[in-house]
Amino acid sequence: MRKRKYTIPTYFAFAWLGLAVFLAIFGSFLPVDGYQVIHGDFIDSPPLTPGHWFGVDSNGYDIFSGIINGARLSVFIAIVSVGLGGAIGALLGITAAYYRGRYDSFINSTFNVVLSVPNLVLALALVAVLATNVDINEAVPTWRRLVTLIISLTVVIIPILGRIARAATLAWSGREFVVAARSMGMRDRDIIKRHIVPNVLPALIAVGFLAVGVVIIAEASLSLLGVGIPDGASWGGMLARGRNDLEYNPHALYIPIIALAFTVISTNHVGDVLRGGLDRREGRL
Amino acid sequence: MRGSFWVQRFAQLLITVFCVTFGCSLLVQLLPVSPAEILLPVGSPEERELLTKEIGLDRGPIGYYLKWLGEFVQGDFGDIYYSGGTESVSSRLAVAFPRSIWLMIYTQVLSLAVAIPLGVWSAYRVGKRADKAISNTLFTLSSIPNFAIALILVLILGVRLQWLPTLDYQPYSAGIWEHFKHMIMPVVSLSVGLIAAYTRLLRADMIAALREDYILMAASKGLTDRRILWRHAFRPSSVTLFTSAALNMGALIGGAIVIETIFATYGVGFEVFAAISGRQYIALQSIVGLISIFYVVFNLIVDILAGYVDPRTRDRRVNA
Repeated sequence: MRKRKYTIPTYFAFAWLGLAVFLAIFGSFLPVDGYQVIHGDFIDSPPLTPGHWFGVDSNGYDIFSGIINGARLSVFIAIVSVGLGGAIGALLGITAAYYRGRYDSFINSTFNVVLSVPNLVLALALVAVLATNVDINEAVPTWRRLVTLIISLTVVIIPILGRIARAATLAWSGREFVVAARSMGMRDRDIIKRHIVPNVLPALIAVGFLAVGVVIIAEASLSLLGVGIPDGASWGGMLARGRNDLEYNPHALYIPIIALAFTVISTNHVGDVLRGGLDRREGRL
Repeated sequence: MRGSFWVQRFAQLLITVFCVTFGCSLLVQLLPVSPAEILLPVGSPEERELLTKEIGLDRGPIGYYLKWLGEFVQGDFGDIYYSGGTESVSSRLAVAFPRSIWLMIYTQVLSLAVAIPLGVWSAYRVGKRADKAISNTLFTLSSIPNFAIALILVLILGVRLQWLPTLDYQPYSAGIWEHFKHMIMPVVSLSVGLIAAYTRLLRADMIAALREDYILMAASKGLTDRRILWRHAFRPSSVTLFTSAALNMGALIGGAIVIETIFATYGVGFEVFAAISGRQYIALQSIVGLISIFYVVFNLIVDILAGYVDPRTRDRRVNA
């Protein structure tokens, strides 16, 4: 087994992502106030105030609690959409590349069509249509917004990861061991399961990390535009709220930005490192 | 052979545009409420009936699409419905398009102007300290979302230092400096990510090109490094770069939604957002259709240009 050597930034990236996932899962059990508790005496206090290390915004919301709570939503949305999108994309991409023919050209051109619409436009349009209420004056409940958001972001991810899966499968399905397995009469399902998926998966995981970054940014963008999860619950929502108050409380803006940027830098970096490892592996063959 | 390639390419273009716009019109059909009810919230049933007929919604999904397509081809992009009346989408776009085009052009020019020297330089010094510094800095910067950069710029340059206006757009007629002053922050925030992406592409291609035999040949002829870099290595390496730049053109017109909203530039991206949040589905369908046309047309142009820059690619493009 080849020994992997990571550099210090890679460990930082893993540590940060680990922390984010930890907060996403266990954040609600930590002894931290809810993010919507109003600290009336501390309104507008800057970072490093004792008890409110990240400061308090002009509504009296503690920013530290906001970050921890936001991690839950932002990371949850990202992981679920990339997981779902990756699974569906991989299924479509792998089968398309394996069976070729008309099915393949149909899937491939569908991916191309979806990709020709800018990410955010697609997500926005889907959110708008899916979250439309019969009665205009009735607010859309939060859980439905969450589901809509996840569905829309999943649709954005499917062609991105699907194309990667397709390209990787195309490269692998011509290899000798696949041909050998087929000539020995192995069933297509088993070939895909035993020979294709294990080889395609590493590339998919590497790009999946990049996709998590894309989704976190997309979710924040939607929140900034006012169609995300309401009440500033996610990091993007905190940005949207902090943006209105950037003259007097810049920390309400830059602290969520830092959290967001660190996360995206980490996912991109990890994705990059994994992809680099793949290239080396390919190079050895 | 060459002729059939362009026919195929053009057919692909039409099919993509058709699929995108038909998808949009299906979305309108999928709405849980009748669009007429959304567009005329206080109208009487007769008025809604009239509107449904006018948009063509009574003709079924295909009939509706064909009616929309017929008008779209003739340059009638439908109307935006207000409580007081209607406004044509084309008149809105006539204002928004130039803004987005300028934004796109400045962003591309700035990104390429910075990325090309950086990419060539870091490929020339590959593995050295300069290369690593450039790559790492750009990698970090590119991971910061563009709206975050925009908000930080607003905070520092707009609010603290008050050097630049944070909102609005000014046309050329208001003075060149006024025009640029309003463009600097949106353009810079859109450019950062592109600079990183372009530099990376160019660097990778340049490194590969510099390993080719003809570079060794050129060097052994005694040509200067500068000449080898720019004349012999840059030209064939620039194809991927310009392809990706062209793909971004479509995305920049219409995709710069957040930046256009933050800086109140009100280009096409903002119109998309306004159409969505105002539930103007017919306008949305037309604008998204136009954006996808831009996207595929730029794609096609780049394919043609790539053939001129690097003749080797002319025969290799099969299923782009």
